[in-house]
Amino acid sequence: MIELKSISKSFTGKHAVKNLNLTIPDGKIFGFLGPNGAGKSTTIKMMTGILPIDEGSITINGVDITDYPMEAKHLFGYVPDRSDIFLRLKGIEYLNFIADVFQVSIEERKEKIEYLTKSFGIYEALDDHIQTYSHGMRQKIVVSGVLLHDPDVWILDEPLSGLDPKSSHTLKEMMREHADRGKIVFFSTHVLEVVEQLCDEVAIINHGHVQFQGNMTEMKQQFQDDDNLERLFLELTENE
Amino acid sequence: MSNAWKLMKIMVKMQLSWAGKSSSEKVGYVIMAFALIPFGALILFSLNNLIGNLYNALEPTGNESVILALFFILMFVIFIVTSIGTVLSSFYFAEDVESFIALPFHPYQIVLGKSAVPFLSLYGLNALILLPVLLFYGLHSSAGLLYYLFAILLWAVTPVIPFVLLSIVLMFLMRFANISKNKDRTKIIVGMFGFIFAIGINVVIRLDSGGDGSGTADLIREQNGLLELVTGFFPTAYFSSIALTQPASVTGVLYLMLMLGLTIGFAILFLTVGQKIYFKGVLGLSGGTRGRFNESKVQKTIKRKPIIYSLWLKEMRIIFRTPAFFTQIVVQSLFFPVFLLVILFMESNTSLASLGSLLTQLEGKKLVLGLFGFTLLSVGMTPASFSSISRDGKSWFNHLHLPIAPQTVLRSKIITAFTLNLLTIAILSFAALFLVQVSFKIWLIWLLLALVTNWVTSIGGLIIDLYSPKLDWTDEREVFKGRFIGLAMLAIEATVFGTLILILWNVSAVNGIWVTAAVLLTFLIILAAACHAGLKRLSDKRYYSIH
Ligand SMILES: Nc1ncnc2c1ncn2[C@@H]1O[C@H](COP(=O)(O)OP(=O)(O)OP(=O)(O)O)[C@@H](O)[C@H]1O
Ligand SMILES: [Mg+2]
Repeated sequence: MIELKSISKSFTGKHAVKNLNLTIPDGKIFGFLGPNGAGKSTTIKMMTGILPIDEGSITINGVDITDYPMEAKHLFGYVPDRSDIFLRLKGIEYLNFIADVFQVSIEERKEKIEYLTKSFGIYEALDDHIQTYSHGMRQKIVVSGVLLHDPDVWILDEPLSGLDPKSSHTLKEMMREHADRGKIVFFSTHVLEVVEQLCDEVAIINHGHVQFQGNMTEMKQQFQDDDNLERLFLELTENE
Repeated sequence: MSNAWKLMKIMVKMQLSWAGKSSSEKVGYVIMAFALIPFGALILFSLNNLIGNLYNALEPTGNESVILALFFILMFVIFIVTSIGTVLSSFYFAEDVESFIALPFHPYQIVLGKSAVPFLSLYGLNALILLPVLLFYGLHSSAGLLYYLFAILLWAVTPVIPFVLLSIVLMFLMRFANISKNKDRTKIIVGMFGFIFAIGINVVIRLDSGGDGSGTADLIREQNGLLELVTGFFPTAYFSSIALTQPASVTGVLYLMLMLGLTIGFAILFLTVGQKIYFKGVLGLSGGTRGRFNESKVQKTIKRKPIIYSLWLKEMRIIFRTPAFFTQIVVQSLFFPVFLLVILFMESNTSLASLGSLLTQLEGKKLVLGLFGFTLLSVGMTPASFSSISRDGKSWFNHLHLPIAPQTVLRSKIITAFTLNLLTIAILSFAALFLVQVSFKIWLIWLLLALVTNWVTSIGGLIIDLYSPKLDWTDEREVFKGRFIGLAMLAIEATVFGTLILILWNVSAVNGIWVTAAVLLTFLIILAAACHAGLKRLSDKRYYSIH
């Protein structure tokens, strides 16, 4: 379970996230929605220890990210919104580096690297510098890095952007399997079809507040006139 | 034209804006500016003296014009050398090049816009060096108003021709010599150019110094004879100097007109060439290489390593694979030892070779302090250390969400800077033991001093970079360019180590080789420990808040 307790973050006086509360239960695929600039990436960066939290606290499976950063960071894998990874490394060197960080055993890394990169179709590119990868290939190598060490919690910031249909399908299946094993998949997206098709629960935020949290049926009940998610989303995030 | 103007304004704003700079960085710039005032005054003072003395010596034979010519040539060379890097990175290697190409602009407009920043930096140098020179010359020759009018005009046009010449050469090279096919290789060649140039000149001068200077004496006897000799390869310097020394004559006016006309001509040429070939050189620039996939080779690289080793390996790979880092860090730090080796080899039959036995005759304390000074020269400035954090650029955040302790990351960076300096130490050791035949004892003392100093400066540089890192670069050169970080490190080291040497020099209780070395080493080790403590405190405060 991930718990965000009244967290706030401001950049030079402007609030990006304000007094945000969120509980993400185990065994669910949790969608995190909101317009551009709503504060999704900022929230995710605080969850992953990249940004210091101004106020409030975040615990991942009971471990506080601020107080026990090392322990907490062992629990999750994170796919950032931009794939600014170490471009001068080769794909295989990057995966090896990640595996070293998470102390993955040699047999496991051999097997996983082959399995993951083959399913994403980047196996043959492993010996090339990441700099020569396309946007989608970079995204895939990052995702492979996360799945390589098999973390309990997946935190993914727009993981499907740039992926081709086949890889997108593969990743969605993997997300489903992971949640079905009782683990957490938390991801942000702008694609409402994906949300409808994949998510067990969603939170919609705007201007750094949670506008709505609940599962799909609850959501539909609350807004009975809205027959589709798009209209619902537009209504919820309408600028006041 | 208004499009070009808009582009220029945007480019200048993007490069020079204060936005995005941390307040500590801003304070640093201001302090640095104030610190440079006395330094600048000293330089201006000596420049004035130099020009005055030269003028008095040369004026009787009517050769004073050569003073101006020398400075015009100097400016020409400076402009060419500084433009190589700025033009290449602005025209070809900056990340924004491709996005501008997609916009509906003419090539010449983009070329003009891209020239703005390199050109502005030339005018900065121009204002710093040539402007005072022209002023001082005017004062010493008690020139009239006309001289100053001419001087201002010529000052304004001086940067244009070297800049245009170099840009055109580069545009042709990028277009036709095919070096642009591999962006990385081009960058390394260009980066090494300066060093090869410097070593080459040194070798030529050394080979040449056997000749006698009898011809020069004749030349001095006739008016402007020296000028013609000196400006043989630099006609513009000749024109400018003549125009300035005879402003009231027809010749002077003609030469001024000629310079102005040439400048306009070159500007037009620049735009024409830019319009014709700029895009063709840019398109198809690509970084990195893609080879054939070899499964078993890849499988073999899958190994398990301790995290600190893995981090170190990553740092080394990035340094050796990124042209800007390779030239600025590896080549740069090898420059001093290689330079020394070249000199030693060339002078192997002369007095230098007996340096080894000479050293032993020195008094113990002076010897050790001298060795320490030499150590500072060789491993004191470590670009690898003061670029530790900044090198990561936008990929820095990866260290933050992975479960790696800050101390581990920082330690790997210290070790990286340290290992790179080991190469320098190894070369110098080779030179000391085999070329100069320094005694084993002295070499051992030096080695110890060098290793500990290396450790101290590696941490010191990291602290400075952590205090004020630059992560938002788009071209790797920005990690070194336009930052005062190297200068800051130099200033701090000069203060700390200078005081240390001064104190040891004057305390008479410290005497003899072993005592001095021991005291010095103790100091350095205490300093290293203090740096470690300082680093710990700084990283607790800053590690997670730099972005
Ligand atoms: N480094 C920063 N400095 C200043 N402001 C920032 C910074 N990062 C984010 N912000 C601001 O915080 C707010 C939230 O940004 P955030 O990136 O979290 O949005 P997002 O929901 O991820 O948007 P998107 O859907 O476009 O990815 C925005 O108003 C943004 O301008
Ligand atoms: Mg975002």
